Amino acid sequence: MMILLLVLPLAAALLMLLWPRIAPLLALFSAAVCSFLALQLLLQVSEQGTRYWLLAGWPSGLAIAWQADTLSCLLILLTAVLQLLVGFYAFATRARDKLSQGFWPLSSLLQLSLTALWLSRDLFNLYVCLELLALVAVALVSLSGRKAIKPALNYLLLSLFGSLCYLLGVVLLYGAYGRLDIAGLVSQWQPNLLTNSALLLMSLGLMLKAALWPLHGWLPAAHAAAPAPVSALLSALVVKGPLFILCLLWLQLASTEQAQAMAPLFAGAGLAALLFGGWSALRTPFAKNLVAYSTVAQLGYATLALGLMLKFDQPLIFAALWLFVLAHALAKAACFLAIGEMSGTLGGKRLTTLKGASQTMPLAMFAFAVAGGSLIGLPPSGGFLAKWALLQGLWLQEQQLFWPLALVLATLLSAAYVFRVVVLAFDRADPVAPDFSPQVLPQWLALLPALAVWAMALFSEPLLLLLRLEAL
Amino acid sequence: MSPFWLSYLPLAIILSSLLPGLIIFTLKEQQVKLRIALNLLGVTVKLVLVLIMWQAVKAGAVFYFSVPFLPGAELVLQGDALSLLFVVLSSVLWLATTIYAIGYLENSPLRSRFFGYFSLCVSATVGLALSGNLVSFLLFYELLTLATFPLVVHRGTPEALAAGRRYLAYTLSGGLLLLTGVALLHSLVQSPQFIPGGYVSAVVSEHAGLLQLAFGLMIAGLGVKAALLPLHGWLPQAMVAPAPVSALLHAVAVVKAGAFGIIRLVYDVFGVDSMQQLQLAEPLMLLAATTILYGSWRALAQQDIKKRLAYSTISQVSYITVGVAMLGPLAAVGGLVHLVHQGVMKITLFFCAGNYAETLGVHKINELNGAGRRMPLTSVAFTVAALGMIGIPPTAGFISKWYLGLGAVATDNSLMLLVFVFSGLLNAAYFLPIVYRLWFLPQGGNWPKEQRLSATLETHWMLLLPMLFTAVLIILMGVFASTGVSPLSWTQLIVEREFSYD
Repeated sequence: MMILLLVLPLAAALLMLLWPRIAPLLALFSAAVCSFLALQLLLQVSEQGTRYWLLAGWPSGLAIAWQADTLSCLLILLTAVLQLLVGFYAFATRARDKLSQGFWPLSSLLQLSLTALWLSRDLFNLYVCLELLALVAVALVSLSGRKAIKPALNYLLLSLFGSLCYLLGVVLLYGAYGRLDIAGLVSQWQPNLLTNSALLLMSLGLMLKAALWPLHGWLPAAHAAAPAPVSALLSALVVKGPLFILCLLWLQLASTEQAQAMAPLFAGAGLAALLFGGWSALRTPFAKNLVAYSTVAQLGYATLALGLMLKFDQPLIFAALWLFVLAHALAKAACFLAIGEMSGTLGGKRLTTLKGASQTMPLAMFAFAVAGGSLIGLPPSGGFLAKWALLQGLWLQEQQLFWPLALVLATLLSAAYVFRVVVLAFDRADPVAPDFSPQVLPQWLALLPALAVWAMALFSEPLLLLLRLEAL
Repeated sequence: MSPFWLSYLPLAIILSSLLPGLIIFTLKEQQVKLRIALNLLGVTVKLVLVLIMWQAVKAGAVFYFSVPFLPGAELVLQGDALSLLFVVLSSVLWLATTIYAIGYLENSPLRSRFFGYFSLCVSATVGLALSGNLVSFLLFYELLTLATFPLVVHRGTPEALAAGRRYLAYTLSGGLLLLTGVALLHSLVQSPQFIPGGYVSAVVSEHAGLLQLAFGLMIAGLGVKAALLPLHGWLPQAMVAPAPVSALLHAVAVVKAGAFGIIRLVYDVFGVDSMQQLQLAEPLMLLAATTILYGSWRALAQQDIKKRLAYSTISQVSYITVGVAMLGPLAAVGGLVHLVHQGVMKITLFFCAGNYAETLGVHKINELNGAGRRMPLTSVAFTVAALGMIGIPPTAGFISKWYLGLGAVATDNSLMLLVFVFSGLLNAAYFLPIVYRLWFLPQGGNWPKEQRLSATLETHWMLLLPMLFTAVLIILMGVFASTGVSPLSWTQLIVEREFSYD
């Protein structure tokens, strides 16, 4: 089943190159089948426990290690479902937006690289996935045409630099231990200067790729320049890949002392991302930049949770980390699709074009507001679940008043930038007239993930339990 | 009636306004009849369901409906005596306000959106009343914020948007404080169902400091909506909303949500004993007493009718908090019954203010001279409600102040007695001049913007009927206070159950 999850997108991508005319159908078909398979895999794994396997039957140490646990399966499912949704959106708007043919094979490759990344437990294989992911992402950004060349090139250079740093770390470890599977490395791990520097190098590269503060500078331009479906994929999924590896490194490889030493740095960076990202989102005059800065801020939650997890080693905080990621992926996809739809129809990139959108495009605006509710963390959305888990984890530690306070501040900031848009949409003084009559189907497609993130409430208890077990 | 069906009753009560609301969103502007029919259908169904529940709860039943949500905190809907007090209040006043709003907004734009959010708002209020633990309460508390925001900014003018921003800033911060407090309390004792006597007593000695912190956080969160003193700033500004919205915000939905939350927190989460051990009641009572005096004092200075009513709300809602914080059974009766009485009186006053504004274009108090002759029914209703607010028998307001006074004596709070007397004087000082202007001063020139809304009546019948209905209720609740169907007897039942847990 896992093999099929990898082979199907690859085969689909190759077929698309041969037969471009049916590319959209192929992409949708493969995403649909993958969603179904991923769901099956998730059910199987949550019932029978984590599955490991070594590629091609080589002995451990030589072969590439793979592992499917509940977290990986959840992420695979998320990837496939979002791919399907965004595919539908791109298909529904193809007549209007003139998205290049290149989108379809690239999006299938994106799915392939992400699925492989969630499953790999081998540092070099992770590097390969990461590299493929970055190249595909850069190509997708550049689909926007000339205006996107500069941000895309910027993204490419920084991403290559990040990959190099990561690779350097991998090489150091390989030189010292002669193996790269994570399980094997853990058993021989020594906290010393060499592993310290390897960890730091890899983290630097990964933080750059995941746009974690203070290395987030490239993200707003790149995500804002891309076409709406691409921004949705980039913000929802692509930045989460490096974050996943970062968590693997620090939560599984690093020794307790190393983790303890790094914890305040991550927590601090997360907090700074929340504050600066939120502040920038409040200030920017462009609609898509606002959503992109909100991604920077929301990634701060994940970084903060990682830092606190390293510090307190509290399973609830780990659950909070991945709940943030899941909720953010769905909410952000909805935000980007809704904003893309609105600025496309109302004609303008500035935030002020959204004036009166609650009248002219109520559905898309509703989608943005609903998704924004989860970004703020209003109950019972997915964002609330994550925040609740984090708060519970924090209150379980004695004398922790600073972090809850910081969370309150960050939440207020996110509420401020979400409602900055919503209030503008209720401005009835002189609403911006649409350039053409708004399409209904794409607006519904934008609403779908927003509703899904609120529907996470229905699965809150199993989700929390599964993710909490994953941390042990 | 099978028990299976009955267990879904709380959910059905919420859905009876939620579903029509969602359908109304999809309607076109011109489908007026269908929209009105849906609205009235929702109200009727809700009232019938509430009546069924009322009968059952009176006989001693407790309704319970839950879905799993968080570990240790399910989403619980619970129909007990206290929740029913608020449910009945909001459903009856929803009926009145819906009719009023249909008349008030006739021919204005975006009515589908308005009535959609209006129904959502009532659903959230009823959900809040029925919620059976703190987490469910928090959920509906936030939903209420979201549902009322579009109503506040409904006019879409710059002032409305500014008021909306301010409203959001206050209420979202409040919701966040409440969330932090609820999460803290959850980490100490989980979030079980609300229960008379509370559920924190087991950890009082161990975690006194954290419990006090949680209580403070939650009171700050609830205090925003209940307009307790430093957190009241949004309320006077939210007056730019259309009259039915102000009526709803002030009498039923938002401020009452805060007050109701305080009642739940004091009696059913912390409980009287733990409140005394943790010494939490005294500060809360003093804060509320200060708010009573401050609100009345500021109301004196307002020249805008709706602004004066807004400051009066700030003051009157704190009577509920004071009654609760005195921790005596008689004071509790006074506080709880004031929740209902203040709602009915304040909604009448806002209906009247809306009628003056719609029919005569009058917004300022000094323009009201002689309005009693032009609009006698409205002015009679206003007078009745104003006398009620001051606490003159036989109106409902007298009953609540009487019990509050008795409660203050019973709990040895002579300071509170003074506060009540002084605030009563202030109430008289800001309401009686308006009554005097209405009836005894001659009309000074033309009305600012007069409209003939009806051939025979002083204004549109849909604006008159709800107002007269609530005005009559004020008298009836006062005169028949000792009978079995009055809010007073119901609150006595609640207090009996709340104070006899051991």
